[in-house]
Amino acid sequence: MATTPLLPKSTSPFVSNPLSLSSAHTHFIKPSFFNPLEHSHACTKRPTVQVHAKKKNPWLDPFDDGEDPEMEYGSMFADGKQEEDTRPPDAPNNPYGFLKFPMGFAVEIASLPLKIRGDVRRCCCMISGGVYENLLFFPAIQLIKDRYPGVLIDVIASARGKQTYELNKNVRWATVYDIDDDWPEPGDYTDMTGELKGRYYDMVLSTKVGGLGHAAFLFMTTARDRVSYIYPNVNAAGAGLLLSETFTAESINLSEGGYNMYQQMVDWLGRPSRTVPKQPVPPLRVSISRKLKQVVAEKYTNAGVEKGKYIVIYGIESDSKASMQSRGDTDSLLPIQVWADIADSIRGMKPVFVIPHEKERENVEEIVGEDASIVFITTPGQLAALINDSAGVIATNTAAVQLANAREKPSIALFCSELKGRLFVPNAEEKKCIVVSSKTGKLIDIEVEAVKQAMQIFDVSLALA
Amino acid sequence: MAEAIMSFTIIKPLGHSSLQSTKWDMLHPSSKSLEGSNKKRASLCKVNAFPDWPLTLMAVLVEHAEGQRDLITHKSIWHLSDKAIKNVYAFYMMFTCWGCLFFGATKDPYYDSEVYRGDGGDGTGHWFYEKQEDIEEAARAELWREELIEEIEQKVGGLQELEEAGRK
Repeated sequence: MATTPLLPKSTSPFVSNPLSLSSAHTHFIKPSFFNPLEHSHACTKRPTVQVHAKKKNPWLDPFDDGEDPEMEYGSMFADGKQEEDTRPPDAPNNPYGFLKFPMGFAVEIASLPLKIRGDVRRCCCMISGGVYENLLFFPAIQLIKDRYPGVLIDVIASARGKQTYELNKNVRWATVYDIDDDWPEPGDYTDMTGELKGRYYDMVLSTKVGGLGHAAFLFMTTARDRVSYIYPNVNAAGAGLLLSETFTAESINLSEGGYNMYQQMVDWLGRPSRTVPKQPVPPLRVSISRKLKQVVAEKYTNAGVEKGKYIVIYGIESDSKASMQSRGDTDSLLPIQVWADIADSIRGMKPVFVIPHEKERENVEEIVGEDASIVFITTPGQLAALINDSAGVIATNTAAVQLANAREKPSIALFCSELKGRLFVPNAEEKKCIVVSSKTGKLIDIEVEAVKQAMQIFDVSLALA
Repeated sequence: MAEAIMSFTIIKPLGHSSLQSTKWDMLHPSSKSLEGSNKKRASLCKVNAFPDWPLTLMAVLVEHAEGQRDLITHKSIWHLSDKAIKNVYAFYMMFTCWGCLFFGATKDPYYDSEVYRGDGGDGTGHWFYEKQEDIEEAARAELWREELIEEIEQKVGGLQELEEAGRK
């Protein structure tokens, strides 16, 4: 029986004994006849499930009274997480190209775990917002990957947000479609509907705070789990009918929640099931490909700095769309004059000014000087690679702060208020991040002296290195 | 005109034999007058385009009068019923529409332009769309493998260190 690992363990008894195959049907419904021990086990587990069960939407199914207390689960597909890969191995000697199905493999029950255990084989995440919002969704993607081993995760994001997925190894396809657009091109809309339906997702997550229209879009994907945020006001009317799980956002702008803006969704994704404990939320991590590192290394070498001996300065005020701000914090860019003041006090390192648009180069050269190191970067991937090779980061509340935390680089984050700082960088000490916030609630009034004080974090990290 | 034809006695040809009788009429216009009486009489023959479909292609009217030459009216109008006319026009319209689309598309520079074909192809007439997405997907898969290899290397390195520490 070399092939048994492909099947759930409970199938092995009736694989060896074909006569008992007829009992397979009853096995997972009423196993108490066969296995009294398992029965008592299930009984002890049940209350924990009911505690976490949320109130069902009665409109979805008027005859659904929740989980049946008399229901007994056997061991088949009921316990633990899903299998990593359910595809049987290739059979190289088979002339017809069939796979090597193990003995007793029943195609009929292959899809049962999707029902019983709620397996997710394909998952689609629709992320609303730009780079920052997409970056903050990375922990959720990692959590899905951990909770449902072997899941294929696809992403639908806006054109800007999609670029973030250069940094994510867990995503299969990233498709550009702006779900924030309330009036999409009819052609685009129908095309995307058809494409999503054709991909046969088991779970569709959406972080757009949406109403009935967005719910209808999710409904048309025909996924089993359609999960979305809904409006906290009357505009959410009817959205729950078409969704299987809804989270009522605290405000219309989800990004105001800061780093934990997807807390409700993450809680639901990592919820404990019968025998699986609650899945912890992993920290934000990004991965940078070798090619990206090479490209960026060339860029900063041209700008005249060496690896590990520069400090990235990000957050220069510009009307470029590539400034990677959060939608929850609009006051998060500083004019170049302030940056020049801050950069003056950097000792032993070279500041590298990251400009989001080529037209800013002149301004920077004018104010900082002709010999300033300037790197033109618009994509989060390149910014991450630049931060990865740097000694530290000084940035306003942009994706640069999160990227520095993700690569565990020391950073100084400038915030317009202390509250925002706490929201966007929780546990700042653990992340080697110093939050400097403005006293007046406006970023422009930030004290440069405080930033200069904070700069010793780079010296400490240098001494350690 | 239709009333004029209808007023004559109409010889209804029997299905398949209609063409033959008409031929006979045309070849021997006076044959019918030989056996008839002196009175003036007339006969009409119709030819159907298809035996079972009422599409009259040709009508031959033979008017016979005593002591005179036979007056032969040879009509080759198509007599189409309303339904047949509708069918013809429907077909004409459908053909026109299809033709506009089909022949219009055969030589459209748009379909050979960079906008339409831009995503690539392998030069054999097989065009790949969404090539960009596939490239990105492959890049991410590569990233995943790189990280996995790094992790394994770290673990192996850690194990080796442990082993060395154990030996010492």
